[in-house]
Amino acid sequence: MGQLVERTAGVGAGLATEDMILNIGPQHPSTHGVLRLRLVLDGERIVSAEPIVGYMHRGAEKLFEVRDYRQIIMLANRHDWLSAFCNELGVVLAAERMLGMELPVRASWARTMLAELNRVLNHLMFLGSYPLELGAITPIFYAFREREDLQKVMEEISGGRMHFMFNRVGGLKDDLPAGWLDRARRTIHAVRGRLADIENLIHGNEIFRARTEGVGVLTTEQIAAYGLSGPIARAGGVDFDLRRDEPYLAYGELGDVLRVVTRKAGDCFSRFDCLLEQTRVSLDLAEACADRLAALPQGPINLRLPKVLKVPEGETYAWTENPLGINGYYLVSRGEKTPWRLKLRSASFNNIQVLGELLPGHLVADMVAILGSMFFVVGDIDK
Amino acid sequence: MPQFPDAVSNQNMTNWFLGSFDTHIPWWFILVVIKAVAAFAILVVLTLFNIWYERRVVSFMQMRIGPNRVGPQGLLQSLADGVKLALKEDIVPTNADKPVFWIAPLLSAIPAFLAIAVIPWGPAVSIFGHWTTLQLVDLPVGVLYVLAISSIGIYGIVLAGWSSGSTYPLLGALRSSAQMISYEVAMGLSFAGVFLYAGTMSPSGIVNAQQHGWYFYMLPLSAIIYIIAMVGETNRAPFDLPEAEGELVGGFHTEYSSLKFALFFLAEYINLVTVSALAVTMFFGGWRAPVPISLWSGANSGWYPMLWFMIKLLIFVFVFIWLRGTLPRLRYDQFMAFGWKVLIPVSVLWLLVVALFRQLRNAGDLDRAHAVPIGIGIAAVFLLLVVALEVRERNQIRRTPPPTVPDYEPLAGGFPVPPMPGQSAPAVPRRPQFARTAAAPAPALNGTTAEEASTR
Amino acid sequence: MNVTTASVQFTGSAQSYLSPTGVEVAFILIGLVVLGSALLVVTVRNLVHAALWLVVCLGGIAGEYLLLGAELVAWVQILIYVGAIVVLLLFGLVLTRAPIGHTDELDVKHRAPAVVVAAGAAGVLVTVVVDAYRKVWLEPRAAVPLGTGAANGAALFKYWVLPFETLSVLLLAALVGAIVISRRGADGDSDEPESVGTD
Repeated sequence: MGQLVERTAGVGAGLATEDMILNIGPQHPSTHGVLRLRLVLDGERIVSAEPIVGYMHRGAEKLFEVRDYRQIIMLANRHDWLSAFCNELGVVLAAERMLGMELPVRASWARTMLAELNRVLNHLMFLGSYPLELGAITPIFYAFREREDLQKVMEEISGGRMHFMFNRVGGLKDDLPAGWLDRARRTIHAVRGRLADIENLIHGNEIFRARTEGVGVLTTEQIAAYGLSGPIARAGGVDFDLRRDEPYLAYGELGDVLRVVTRKAGDCFSRFDCLLEQTRVSLDLAEACADRLAALPQGPINLRLPKVLKVPEGETYAWTENPLGINGYYLVSRGEKTPWRLKLRSASFNNIQVLGELLPGHLVADMVAILGSMFFVVGDIDK
Repeated sequence: MPQFPDAVSNQNMTNWFLGSFDTHIPWWFILVVIKAVAAFAILVVLTLFNIWYERRVVSFMQMRIGPNRVGPQGLLQSLADGVKLALKEDIVPTNADKPVFWIAPLLSAIPAFLAIAVIPWGPAVSIFGHWTTLQLVDLPVGVLYVLAISSIGIYGIVLAGWSSGSTYPLLGALRSSAQMISYEVAMGLSFAGVFLYAGTMSPSGIVNAQQHGWYFYMLPLSAIIYIIAMVGETNRAPFDLPEAEGELVGGFHTEYSSLKFALFFLAEYINLVTVSALAVTMFFGGWRAPVPISLWSGANSGWYPMLWFMIKLLIFVFVFIWLRGTLPRLRYDQFMAFGWKVLIPVSVLWLLVVALFRQLRNAGDLDRAHAVPIGIGIAAVFLLLVVALEVRERNQIRRTPPPTVPDYEPLAGGFPVPPMPGQSAPAVPRRPQFARTAAAPAPALNGTTAEEASTR
Repeated sequence: MNVTTASVQFTGSAQSYLSPTGVEVAFILIGLVVLGSALLVVTVRNLVHAALWLVVCLGGIAGEYLLLGAELVAWVQILIYVGAIVVLLLFGLVLTRAPIGHTDELDVKHRAPAVVVAAGAAGVLVTVVVDAYRKVWLEPRAAVPLGTGAANGAALFKYWVLPFETLSVLLLAALVGAIVISRRGADGDSDEPESVGTD
């Protein structure tokens, strides 16, 4: 970008166009919190970008080490506040695996259903907020209407609207309330029907297409090198989904419903498209789970636990396909009632590292489009 | 129409500017003062109304209720907000260029008020027994005046951005200056067609010339180009790049607070009214009643035209709000490309066609029998041209490679690169099983073992 | 509009400059403002302030046109010079991130020759104009018909059409030159969408 300097030779050296340093964040509307990007700009074109993380570091991993397994679930569900249920899942899966627990069948199906509903909630947030970042202010309200209905379903069962705290080691906290399955199914139907509203509102919009197509293209190599996962990786043609490739819970039996949504282009639009389609798949999955749960015979939904829950000595790595990508817990236990170490591999942390390579060459306005399409949660980055 | 000759005002105001050097205060001067105060009041009240209007309409589009607490239906909400804004602390950044920082909001708000002066709100009415048109001044070059005044309004934005001494406002200033210059060209070109038809640049003359047909359907392309350009000119969605809140936080007014910010806000909404009023005047018959009403003979006389004008104006404001509720924001370079590569060429071509038509008609070679096939022919050629341009544009978009990202080198930073997934095989290579703990086997799920699942 | 109702009279001495009319007083006052702001443009150390004084200067000239009854020219002056050219200048300044505060590099060495050239140019122009219109009395009120769009158009495309077209060729040349300059050094990325900085 140096050629400009020589071209604007005129009054003096001080008047040549300089590269401007622009700090996006930590307080900026497009960073959803406190991510900070240090951009070097030439005009409006980004010369280099450096994501600076850690403004919201809460020391989650260290806190895990001084909490027992019941408390850890509560802590773990907070780092990515848009997929609380799925976060809890990894912890309990790891603990159950170490304990050698056999999960009740109904618990496994109920968890799968709730995880998928949580995924829908999460994706709806994206479907609303991404157009908002590109200046379309209406879709978010449609997305939130759907979220509201789904949250009612989740609230009825767990009492929480965001931080559900419904997982326990060995199952779920309570059994499903009477009639809940039907109400959930009705809501799923309604949401699936109205998802078309959001799609019609924004998906085919010329401006939206122009803003997102061909912008922020991630290659398969980049995705592999940076360890991107989840819908962002799948939008770039990486056909990898833990729900299918290493099934946990009841996903192994949902093979005919579970379609892994992939796109080829790897640009912002394909990421949006991928997430939109994945929302539909998740609704299908949740409905299939509801059908199955209704068909299952009565039985326990959790296991009785000892007063002091000690996990035997050993280690395990439990990873789940979270809405944002792969979320993994590496649990090392020394037989205490607290873990010796619980390492958290969060999806957003890996996903945003690629920004430094992805942003240069784009305009500031593209930065917003790319940042939004990377779909991160700052809490998930900073942990 | 009342038997009122336009000449009455013209005789007394041979020249509005030089006339003001007369030493005695004539009756028309008092009328002008009344009209000026009224125009000011209308603008301010319209601003308050439009803010409420926008919030309510957008709320309706978004399944919300919107402001409904202060006053009936929340009508006084904007007033309350304005008072609150005025009472806020006025912050001036340390880095700011203080005098310019101070002048900028004024430079933005004052031209916004001035531009409305030449818009005719109605035909002649009687005020205190004197006949006068509902127009502050009837400049023979009134439309030019509006363009000139609104071009001064740009200064407010550019200077606000520069003088804040901060990066986001600077980017906002950069965008808005380029944007407004570009769109003013398209705007001016779209007016040229109207001038050719009306034979005058005076707004009242243009309204009079639309007696037998609004220019909206006589010059459809000019109207469309103007409507697009006016959205660009007022920095409203989807062209609100200078203040794009997702990118530049607040753009040029990021550092402004209190009354200075209120002035920018005021200027934006008054500009909204001004450009809408201009659109109504130039293309939608001004104060003339629309067709079913205009069959009533009294529709275009007395105070009624002001009503029609207001209704048309509010419809335009509604369109603005509608756009804001619907469309995402364009990217800066796309927006500029649209202005320079689509709007300006199209309007120049269109102007040629209009000029040709006028000339043929003036020369008398064009009777009705010839006009229709020629018109259809020209329209077809023009349409083809536009379509061809559009197709070419799209093909180019399709052909252009994605923006250059630095070439990826597998070992550039000394990082080992994992085997590339998804390149040949559709699924990634995966471990034969996922039970890796020493303590316990994986929980088997309902008959599906890990092996089975992973081979799927 | 009838152009032949000439308001420009060729008179020897009939008009007096004593006991000036309001129009004349205003003309002189605005003239002083124009002169003062023009001087400030070249002396102020802050680039953006200089551009702003230029706005005042050009706006003042538009005011003078209005006083002379040339309404069309006045608004065109504002539209083109104030509304476009200086905004473009400001655009360039903002693009180069004109610093807030003084710019010391504005003190150039060839200041003295510049003053001489400017004074010389001003002298020649003033002499020519004064000499050409020595015997002309312009009554502003009567000159209004001369300032209308119709009159200007007629004059431009009937009597001055050759200079007008020549000027447009000059502008075309300038346009081509600008393209050439901006294209230089950008051969490699000529097909890319251009950023703000490169066009």
